[in-house]
Amino acid sequence: MLVYKKLLASVLVMLVVVSLVGCGGGQKTQQGQGQSQSQPADTKHGGTLQDALGQDPPGLDVQQNSMLETYYLGRLLFSTLVRYKGGTTDLEPELLAEMPTVSSDGLTYHFKLKPDLKFSDGTPLTSKDVKFTFERMLKPETKAINQWVFEPIKGAKDMEDGKATELAGFKIINDQEFEITLEAPYAPFVQNLAVPCASIYPADATQKAGEEWTLNPIGSGPYKIAEWVHDDHITLERNTNYFEKDLPYIDKIQMKIIPDEATMTMEFENGNIDILAIPDSEYPRLASDPNFSKMIVENTPLNTYFYVMNENVKYFQDVRVRKAIAMAIDKDKILKELLNNRGTVAKGLLGPGIPGYNENNPGFPYDPEQAKKLLAEAGYPNGFEVENWQAKNETFYKRNVAIQAMLKQIGIDMKINQMDSASWRQSRNNGQVPIYLANWWADIPDPDNYMYNILHSSQSPGWSINYKNPKVDELIEKARVSTDMNERIKMYQEAEKIAVYDDVSIIPLFHVKEYYIVQPYVKDVQFHPTGIGSYNYKTMWLEKK
Amino acid sequence: MTSYIIRRLLSMIPVLIGITLITFILINVVPGDPVVNMMGKRVDAQTIANIRHQLGLDRPLYIQYFDFLFKAVRGDLGRSFYNHQDVMKTILQRFPATVKLSLTSMIVAIIIGLTVGIVSSVKQYTFFDHSSMIVALMGISAPVFWVAIILQLIFGLKLKWFPISGYSGPEYMVLPAIALGTRFAATIARMSRSSMLEVIRQDYIRTARAKGLSERVVIYKHALKNAMIPVITIIGLQVGGLLTGSILTETVFGIPGLGRLSIEAINNRDFPVIQGTVLFTALVFVFTNLIVDISYSFLDPRIRYDGGEG
Repeated sequence: MLVYKKLLASVLVMLVVVSLVGCGGGQKTQQGQGQSQSQPADTKHGGTLQDALGQDPPGLDVQQNSMLETYYLGRLLFSTLVRYKGGTTDLEPELLAEMPTVSSDGLTYHFKLKPDLKFSDGTPLTSKDVKFTFERMLKPETKAINQWVFEPIKGAKDMEDGKATELAGFKIINDQEFEITLEAPYAPFVQNLAVPCASIYPADATQKAGEEWTLNPIGSGPYKIAEWVHDDHITLERNTNYFEKDLPYIDKIQMKIIPDEATMTMEFENGNIDILAIPDSEYPRLASDPNFSKMIVENTPLNTYFYVMNENVKYFQDVRVRKAIAMAIDKDKILKELLNNRGTVAKGLLGPGIPGYNENNPGFPYDPEQAKKLLAEAGYPNGFEVENWQAKNETFYKRNVAIQAMLKQIGIDMKINQMDSASWRQSRNNGQVPIYLANWWADIPDPDNYMYNILHSSQSPGWSINYKNPKVDELIEKARVSTDMNERIKMYQEAEKIAVYDDVSIIPLFHVKEYYIVQPYVKDVQFHPTGIGSYNYKTMWLEKK
Repeated sequence: MTSYIIRRLLSMIPVLIGITLITFILINVVPGDPVVNMMGKRVDAQTIANIRHQLGLDRPLYIQYFDFLFKAVRGDLGRSFYNHQDVMKTILQRFPATVKLSLTSMIVAIIIGLTVGIVSSVKQYTFFDHSSMIVALMGISAPVFWVAIILQLIFGLKLKWFPISGYSGPEYMVLPAIALGTRFAATIARMSRSSMLEVIRQDYIRTARAKGLSERVVIYKHALKNAMIPVITIIGLQVGGLLTGSILTETVFGIPGLGRLSIEAINNRDFPVIQGTVLFTALVFVFTNLIVDISYSFLDPRIRYDGGEG
């Protein structure tokens, strides 16, 4: 009898716990009430798009994090001063009435906002909000991590150091016009203003929201938050105050949070998701299915995958070793067998679509015999042992295993050490990772975004590259302040030749393409050109409502 | 009884302090800085220092720990480093999903496991016995995520009987409960079968049969009660495992539970959320144990907690 009572007691306790926790508040973050949307006569309007995210956004404050999910939603909730034209890398005004004009010395930019701009709560968007946004990013108390977009502005450093509370280089002319003065000429400055983290916030609402801003922000983008059930779904609805008349077409976007890739794909197959970035593991199956293969859409984002050899590691201090590894990796084979040809072999750090991309770069041809000779010349005829550190990731692991086998052919015994991502990031940023597979997805389509951020001696330790060449530094520094694009391209190409081909500071491997699968009733899908996984929802419409 | 409860409550204090201290040491010893993790690839020492200061991570560790402890006593578990949400509020939002999943899977497992175990023991060496024990062995060996995907493929994608993922109604709980409960059911089935077989060979069962009692009465009234003792022990041990072991199930089925919250917090090194979820789970365990122990005395008069017991 006692055993039954014990069982009964356990179940009763569980029931009490359930009833108690069941009394807790709901987990919905609500903003406003669902407004009745007027249905324009145009057949493109209406419907709900079912989308999916791999994880709940860690917050929606684009100044405080640069996670893909946050940027992705950032493009829907907020607007930037300039944006990319359709799916191209050309800029066009977004909140601006026209593209900014710049003084002949390249220091002062004049901006003019569109008239009658409003945030989704109906409050006007003026120069004051732009200034507030820029200053908020730079104030230490914001805990922002994306200051880099506004750092070229005069006085930005003083704000970051807490020495100033106002941005010296920002001058409001009137509600619609303002001027920005830079510390020194910086060619890609206007490009920086198109990055989602440069989205404009409403001054009053942001200050009023305080710490809660990241959970419930207000923007001037095509959509606004209707509901956010954390780790379950986010519902967006049309912003009726959006400045582009009659846009967007789709009334609601329902984003399910599905962390498992296989589950996400099954939901697409069941018709519960309308558009999906195809997970690597699912691509071969979907591409070989006669029904699904017709729904696959290709996008060419801006990225480069490359191998890093830490120059603080004894073996990698010899350029002949670095070159031997470059020649031992069969990039074509990896691309064909592991990526199903979803990309192109990289022959430089700069990829197609980036000004300065040099299609005549020779690349590092696969030549294991020559690689062995180089290793012997460097004093390692029998190779050596080295440890590859990577964050746990099946796709990267497979590629590393392939490279491991290729390096074995020339006598290098590469062990693979998989770590959790936080530990790995810290090791990488501390310059401790011996050798690894790296990648860079461009923030902006400008060579500076690659060359400065990866190969400049102030940045390369954070990548565990630890490369330092004063000539390369000088070329990169000169190129970023030059306003002559042709001159800049020449300097970047020269720096790339020295850093990649003479010094083999990194080994370019490939540029990957993205593949999406889209239900046939979703029309006019247009992708963000830099590859933040976002679509241009404004132009999308649903044939089946 | 009152003095027993007071003693038990007081004994929880060092347990909980110990758990928070070990967690605090572990998250600070394990490599992986929360700010570096937030920064991604952009390395800027000044920004990292600023954010560390804003989050209070530049203070001496003992101050950080006592700050956490004193606030936790007042029910303030701090705010997430990432979304600045109140940690206590977040935990209370996520807990119901985990409890529902755990409880449903426990009920499914007990019903299936006990039925299969008892029938197998009564019909020993029959086809049912052999086949059910092979299935149970497979159930114990099968990883949760594998069972989950198979269930999704068959009952979600092909037959379309149940939703593949989500958390909107009772029908969304069916596949996750079976996935999480399968291994548990298999364990119960095997344990109850072997326990029953042991008991039905005892002399008092032979005596009961000799008295002319029907087989039904012998099995359900005399054998089952005694055979259940080890089974109950297993069930009791598994309840805790179910509460915390739902991480994979929650991930595969997209259920917004406590398991997913804690694993994401660990991956992101979101210290307040890690500390909060560990402390909360520990609290649930110690209180559940206390309540179960107290309930015994109400349900069975033979159990008394006075006179220095406990």
